[in-house]
Amino acid sequence: MLQLIKLEFKSFFRSSALGGKLATKIFMWIGYIYIIFMTIALAFIHGSGGAAFIKQEGDVENPFLLLNSNMLFYIFGFWIVLRYFSQSTPVINIRPLLLLRIKRDKIIRFSLNKTIFSFFNLVSILYLFIFSLTIYSNDKFDLNQLIIWNLSMYLILYITNFLNIYINKKDSIAISLGAILAIIYALDFFQIFSFNPISELIFYTFYDIKLFIFIPLAILVFTYFQVINFFKNNFFIDTGLRKKVMEAKQDNLEFLNRFGEMSTFLRNDFRLIKRSKRAKTTALMSMLFIFYGLIFLGTRDLMGDTMLFFGYLFSTGGFIFSFCALVPSWDSQHYSFMMCQNIKYVDYIKSKWYLGSFGVIAATLIAVPIYGYFGSYHVIAVLCCGLFNLGVNSYLTLWAGAFTKVKIDLNSFKNAMGNSKAFNSKTLLLTMPQMVLPLLVYWLVSKFFGHTIGCISVGVIGLLGILFKDVVLSIIIKTYKVEKYSTLSAYKETN
Amino acid sequence: MIYIKNITKTYNKETVLEIDYLEIKPGQTFGLVGNNGAGKTTLFSTILDLIKPTTGEVLNNKINVRKSEDWKSFTSAFLDESFLISYLMPEEYFYFVGELRNFSKNEVDEFLKQFEDLFNDEILGGKKYIRDLSKGNQKKVGIVAALIGNPKVVVLDEPFANLDPTTQIRLKKIIKNLSQKDDVTVLVSSHDLQDVTEVSDRIVLLEKGMIIKDIKKTQKTLKDLETYFNKG
Repeated sequence: MLQLIKLEFKSFFRSSALGGKLATKIFMWIGYIYIIFMTIALAFIHGSGGAAFIKQEGDVENPFLLLNSNMLFYIFGFWIVLRYFSQSTPVINIRPLLLLRIKRDKIIRFSLNKTIFSFFNLVSILYLFIFSLTIYSNDKFDLNQLIIWNLSMYLILYITNFLNIYINKKDSIAISLGAILAIIYALDFFQIFSFNPISELIFYTFYDIKLFIFIPLAILVFTYFQVINFFKNNFFIDTGLRKKVMEAKQDNLEFLNRFGEMSTFLRNDFRLIKRSKRAKTTALMSMLFIFYGLIFLGTRDLMGDTMLFFGYLFSTGGFIFSFCALVPSWDSQHYSFMMCQNIKYVDYIKSKWYLGSFGVIAATLIAVPIYGYFGSYHVIAVLCCGLFNLGVNSYLTLWAGAFTKVKIDLNSFKNAMGNSKAFNSKTLLLTMPQMVLPLLVYWLVSKFFGHTIGCISVGVIGLLGILFKDVVLSIIIKTYKVEKYSTLSAYKETN
Repeated sequence: MIYIKNITKTYNKETVLEIDYLEIKPGQTFGLVGNNGAGKTTLFSTILDLIKPTTGEVLNNKINVRKSEDWKSFTSAFLDESFLISYLMPEEYFYFVGELRNFSKNEVDEFLKQFEDLFNDEILGGKKYIRDLSKGNQKKVGIVAALIGNPKVVVLDEPFANLDPTTQIRLKKIIKNLSQKDDVTVLVSSHDLQDVTEVSDRIVLLEKGMIIKDIKKTQKTLKDLETYFNKG
């Protein structure tokens, strides 16, 4: 056991998070510290009845009841769906150990127990703990009952933890869970049906009746042994651990032919999104950004119109900010091949621009009816944000891509958000003007001439960008040519 | 065809490649041998403009590879797995390469017919993506793709490694044919002295980035090379 722990420590301290470049390292740790800080802050604000709950305005009378009534949603949204996308199964690293003289049970239990201490779980516990501490110091709660409630929530947290390992790699389950989540949220948002009273009833009972804790305890024990059994039975060098071989399917992408020479590359990019789990996850996640505007729509009175505009920029540009931010990293595995082929570098980059524009147009088309529901004010804003993303942000992202130099291993199981190397100081700096410039223009113009003119002036900048596409791309390509060799050598590095 | 002048490559004061002059004639099959770290892959990468040399220049058919992209239209290569697109099916990959080299789907299909025995029914028409093929089959896909579209220069790094004996023999035939029938300049590197002497008409021995021997192949070549590597 000690040997295994030692290995674990080595893999941690030699990982790219710690061993990477200084800037990357700093950003990583800033990221961690930021999340921890935000968790503590949120837990404190929520616990003391602050107005940080999205839908609530003013102070909350009983934060504990409010949390309980939202608990069902949180468990679904954060502990199950978000975890599925962000936490990878622990089984991946054990392949080389299987042939050594260690009992199989020991490896399985070790790799499962390891997940108990994952950052995700610790942050969730931290939140619940700080929250409980805050409400205890403010209100009259029974200490024992509160402890029992806490423990029950921790048990449920770990049920979802082991459940995640069990359902891992079964996309259909995760997608259906995500769909359920969306439906619950939609029913609640449009005030058709609220699950909150049910949720409140269930989770308050854990506080009310102490014996209730045995239910999650029993389920947890059951899940734990179920997962252990599952791995025991599926745990040989060529089963279970072996990467799943997807059956190859021919596809018909003829509709892309109308893009002429670009279609050759676009076809590959569409296949990438269809066939690589990592690319698919990123593309799907980027579509979730479409709903980002809803947050600012809900808090419009608090945050103001400029922030709503910010939300729409994200709604229409999600694909660019997440998927295209990793161009050309998606091609990192065969970048040297691309560089030797009979293609002009410019055409290659141009095809990526077309890909990005597909994403923006699709997002805009979906966003217009959603936000159009709230009036034409929003339609203009969404359309102009789409134009700006298409005509300015797409180029900036591509330009930033020349500096990204992050290798993406398409065949590994690392989940989309689990890849810490995606942090890059240069890329981060470049997202600033992407947001600041349009917001500044909108804010200034709308201050004097009103919302519509403000939107249109941002849209016109985007339109200009689209018109001068070839000029802009020829400037971008110069950077790519300079960075080519160091990009190639960065892609050669193995982790 | 290929003309190398004063090429050096230095990483942190350590010189890994140092070639004053090397000329490869059109239609020549050029074999590169040397131990691990001798600079074989570095030399090939420099020719393909994948590595920027510290000094010197490479001319491919009189085109400076760093100044223009025109050499790409008649040059093809397979260095390693990074030349494969893992999420494509072999056919899709061949069609993709074909499209880049102005070969229609039908022309590619026609071209692939001659490799039927090489593929041994394991590559075409299967239901696998390239990432799920075995290492040997991946290599076959990469090498065949490098031959699509009548290239004038073909660069192959370690083409024989990882292949089964039958395929090795077939591949040697293909390489010999390339230079004899089609007048293609072929650059091959290998650890296996026998393989490389069999296919090449000229052999260059690299050590620590420098050319130690540059010989025209004769009956004695294999013996000479074996003696050389044996001494150290």
